[in-house]
Amino acid sequence: MKDFLMGNQILAQAALKAGAKAMFGYPITPSSEILETWAKLCLADKSISLLQTEDEMAAGFGMIGACLAGKPAFTATGGPGNVLMQDAFSMAEALRIPTVAMIMQRGGLSTSTVIYSQEEVRLTCFGGNGEGFRLVYSTSSLQELYDYTFKAFKMAWKYRWPTFILADGYQAKMKGEIELKEINQKLENVTPILKSGVNLRNCYNLEEEIGKIIVNYADEYNQVRDQLEEYEEYQLQDAELVLVAHGIVAGAAKVAVDLLRKQGLKIGLFRPITLRPFPAKAALDYLGKIKKIMIVESALGQLSSLFKDELYELSLPIIDINKPAVGFTPEEIANTVKSLE
Amino acid sequence: MENNKPLFPSCFKTNSKPHKFCPGCGHPLVLRMLGQVVDEMGIADKTIFMVDIGCSLLAWDFFDLPTTQTHHGRTIPTAVGFKQVDKEKIVIAYVGDGGAYAIGLQHTITACLRNNPITTIVVNNTLYAMTGGQMAPTTIDQEITTTTPVGKSEFKTLHGPEMLKNIANPDAYLARGSAFKPLVLKQYLKKAIETQIKGNFSLVESISACPTNWKTGAKQTMERMEQLEKTFKLGELND
Amino acid sequence: MIKVLFAGEGGQGVQVVAEILAKAAFLDGKKSLYIPNFGVEQRGGVSLAFVVVDEKPVVYPKFDKADILVIFSDRFVQRVKSYIDNQTKIILTPAVKEDSEFKNDSFVKIKAKDFPVKTWNILTLAEANKLGKIVTKDNLRQALEKRFANQFAKDKSLKEMDLKALGEID
Repeated sequence: MKDFLMGNQILAQAALKAGAKAMFGYPITPSSEILETWAKLCLADKSISLLQTEDEMAAGFGMIGACLAGKPAFTATGGPGNVLMQDAFSMAEALRIPTVAMIMQRGGLSTSTVIYSQEEVRLTCFGGNGEGFRLVYSTSSLQELYDYTFKAFKMAWKYRWPTFILADGYQAKMKGEIELKEINQKLENVTPILKSGVNLRNCYNLEEEIGKIIVNYADEYNQVRDQLEEYEEYQLQDAELVLVAHGIVAGAAKVAVDLLRKQGLKIGLFRPITLRPFPAKAALDYLGKIKKIMIVESALGQLSSLFKDELYELSLPIIDINKPAVGFTPEEIANTVKSLE
Repeated sequence: MENNKPLFPSCFKTNSKPHKFCPGCGHPLVLRMLGQVVDEMGIADKTIFMVDIGCSLLAWDFFDLPTTQTHHGRTIPTAVGFKQVDKEKIVIAYVGDGGAYAIGLQHTITACLRNNPITTIVVNNTLYAMTGGQMAPTTIDQEITTTTPVGKSEFKTLHGPEMLKNIANPDAYLARGSAFKPLVLKQYLKKAIETQIKGNFSLVESISACPTNWKTGAKQTMERMEQLEKTFKLGELND
Repeated sequence: MIKVLFAGEGGQGVQVVAEILAKAAFLDGKKSLYIPNFGVEQRGGVSLAFVVVDEKPVVYPKFDKADILVIFSDRFVQRVKSYIDNQTKIILTPAVKEDSEFKNDSFVKIKAKDFPVKTWNILTLAEANKLGKIVTKDNLRQALEKRFANQFAKDKSLKEMDLKALGEID
């Protein structure tokens, strides 16, 4: 069934269909319509609930409380709200609580703009005093907001890492066509976490106690990462130059690839869909024989850092094309690539 | 040999005893009363226990009840979230004066304002004990703490239940007891839980001793408690 | 592909007409994407609305150069100059006095006639669709009526006025 909807409306509707039972949130542009749409959905469906909290800390911990009771719960935020929520996400990381958070990125640095950026990559992937034991999906279209919400709830409850839909203010506010597919998904492993016989702690006494736990988490994360990693490759078969981009910038980059191919350039796109865990193995496979990489993002090297961190074995030239907090049109990417080539 | 009933409440976790609280601390007294209430009301199979970060965190394995530590000041919102999706459970937030009245103050106020049906127990020893004895919202006038080395004087002392009374639902339950008057405190805890069962907010503050950070011996601890029981009015806050 | 940019200030109805246009394209079975672009002020700040309509799926909501640029007030003429190239068709509402800015470009200046200010955004919608042949008139009307269903139910004269502005009735 097709409809014409705003990104934020799509996220709320997808969450409902994916099995979410509760939303906790604090209004913040550009995510507020998710809260508002969920509020309307609650009128028609008494099995779900909403709590607009007094701040983002209460939203994050409220969501944790609901998950502890065995009910899929989610939140939505961005910018300074994302900063405040790291308190809750840190605890979710420590206690393996399957939270789902929709992050609608806005301008970086403080209050900034309410509009757009890709400057919350580092914060969403590695925020809090953690080690990045998170599952982060970077969507690039209205349809993906829908599809990946289903995936987020499924993978969160199955693997028990705090899970994120990392989108942005453009995806949040744009309106367009969407296919509201009937996805028959039954969430696995949805049971109360806090139950008889369970005493949970996140505070330890001596260094070795927590050290051991962190190493165990890292081992598990590494063991399951190939079941979590996702990427998209476009026109890489004979490419000599590859663009690396995520989110809506990847969408624009794909069109730029088409424009440049028409002009004879052997160019392709590698798009990580999960930023955590980063699809390093796939990137290595595809990019091993490439001559040059250009990393395009609306931030100052946040994607690039992630890429270089995981792919230091690739010893080839990398050029960063950065426009912090500002978007790229397809033509702009094509022109910049041509001028740098 | 009639009296072979266990001395511990049956909801105590025996393998975590002896407990980790300091000698003379008020926590074990409060927890023992809570344990007895849980036993007598027969609610062990539906009680959820959540603790703050501070000395209350030492109670994480105190009870054989589903328990979780949270983050400092965030016990109440976690409890609210749990209760929202599972109204059958009795959810208890067990916190210190810092968690309830400083870093978590907006959560305490908002939960009361919303009349969220959770039970909050605030163990008030007038300072931040686990971090070494710094000032708290409940530090009293002239009290010496590590961040008020010549005695606190700049601003007022927070009286939590009295402040909440202004915004509480008429059917909410607010009270202040003392760890050194345990049987009276026990009655307040029982009423608080009954209030939750009826669907309303409850908060019981318990004045508590901290000989370690007060640097008091037994006699001075008792004297100090008597003084605090006068500064912080004991009783139920009824209309 | 056709790219339309509406530019005005908060409160002039910039966003709503862009949304109606994009929705009408959807009803026509075309692909479209609409995005608002503005700051924090609820009234009076700059308000931009981007609409892209195409036969194939639209991937990116913003663009560098507009095919059709609608300007609602003098204040934003300078701001939107970067979106003009020699293909851009410019539409000005009656509120725009700086006609001299556009002496080298072709532009359409909408005449107010007896339309009240609050319907000038609808006039621009009609003119943009006429110039760009973007969507069918039927679906444009349908999208408008659906969007203002509540307001029209409360005030029938508003419906008549808006449909007149759209050019649907005399």
